[in-house]
Amino acid sequence: MTQRRTFAVGLAAGLALLAAFPIVPAQASAELEKGASSFIESLARQAVDSLADQKVPRPERIVRFRRMFNDSFAVEVIGRWILGRHWRTATDAERTEYLRLFEDLMVVSYVDRFAEYAGEALKVYRALTENESTVTIFSEIVRPSGGQPVRVDWRVGRNKDAVYKIVDVVVEGTSMSNTMRSDFTSVIGQKGGQVSGLIEVLREKTDALKQEAAR
Amino acid sequence: MIVLPIRVVGLFAALAFLVALPLLSGCATAPDTKDADALAEFRQINDPLEPANRVIFAFNRAIDAAILKPLARIYRDFTPKVFQDAVSNILANLRTPVVLANDVLQGEGKRAGNTLARFVVNSTVGLGGMMDVASEISMPRHAEDFGQTLAVWGVEEGPYLMLPLFGPSNPRDLVGLAADYFSDPINWYAANTSREFITYSRTGTTGVDTRASHMKELDDLERTSLDYYAAIRSLYRQRRADEISNGRGSSNMPAPGMSGLPAPAGGGAEISAAPLAFEPMTD
Repeated sequence: MTQRRTFAVGLAAGLALLAAFPIVPAQASAELEKGASSFIESLARQAVDSLADQKVPRPERIVRFRRMFNDSFAVEVIGRWILGRHWRTATDAERTEYLRLFEDLMVVSYVDRFAEYAGEALKVYRALTENESTVTIFSEIVRPSGGQPVRVDWRVGRNKDAVYKIVDVVVEGTSMSNTMRSDFTSVIGQKGGQVSGLIEVLREKTDALKQEAAR
Repeated sequence: MIVLPIRVVGLFAALAFLVALPLLSGCATAPDTKDADALAEFRQINDPLEPANRVIFAFNRAIDAAILKPLARIYRDFTPKVFQDAVSNILANLRTPVVLANDVLQGEGKRAGNTLARFVVNSTVGLGGMMDVASEISMPRHAEDFGQTLAVWGVEEGPYLMLPLFGPSNPRDLVGLAADYFSDPINWYAANTSREFITYSRTGTTGVDTRASHMKELDDLERTSLDYYAAIRSLYRQRRADEISNGRGSSNMPAPGMSGLPAPAGGGAEISAAPLAFEPMTD
């Protein structure tokens, strides 16, 4: 009796686990991992080609990085996810404005870091399939100046047209999307739950950063 | 028996006072219980002392801007890189007993062996810890502390705490900080021989070394974040979760296009299968 019950509980737990982590066929998983790995490797090469050159003036680098960012990152999905439940309460005009400012902030924030990393060697060492369309690519960036290499995990999604896009970048265990989500949520909280309040702060921030960049 | 120098006791009392003082400025108020989303968010942020924490954060930033950051900048710009590396390596080597003890307490035999082997190699071939030779022969450095050990033992982190001078923390890491201090043989030696200057100069050097090595990241974050306090809070928790899991946690994190639910600290969140990772979500 007890044995049978233990078995039933075990079976139920097993089924629950299966439901939580759907098993992706090994072949599909291998293909996804291979595709995503080469996507990240080619992105790194592209960054070296177009951003590492210190002679390119910063405004031109920003233009190049914006293009690369829109091509390789799921910008809208990230932007929506960061806003979380507040996306629902935002008006259409607010959503459009928010996404525009979000892209601006990402571009001016990350252009220098990307350009800096671009000169360094990125080495993909592992891939992990999370579900049938999402995979994490684990890489290390080896610094020419020495010291411990920087751990960078890329969370990559693939859509039905087999286009790969980055949904998150995790540097030494800290996720860009999660950090921004906490940051933005806190601002909305201070602004009485209003997305318009966040938009105001975002606009001030991006304006300040652009002015700084122009100097 | 370790005899605590009166000044150390005094330091802890002063810290306790500084923590207690801003508590008078009140707690964060929980949102209306009818709004389930808002309440879930409040719990997830887990920072009931936020008003007090922000006051301490402002105090820490003022101290940083006036003392620590300028010192770290001078140190970074006007001393040779070789010297800075040597200082970092020596400080890391001196932490060996604490790291080793926590490796063992966490049942991490392999890592304990690595810590011990690194100490032997770096203290000898590495000229008293000045050079990290061990890293070059595939024995990479890792850190451990008692806060992480408590986490491995299943102790919850508790609410977010901003400590004066010591920065972001929580009750678990605060206990860890004290335990690490009292379990460090160098601190015993300093306390028992009335050579507290050893502890002070080591703490000061560690502060400047750490600040200098994070200069760029912190400057970037301060420049690009909307709410620096909230960004630091999030990053601290993520770093700790990563350290606790020894770097094995990132695929457990929530990410856009996957589950919208935030992960509890330390990972372990379920990832719901999004059929198309970056197909626009439905509202």
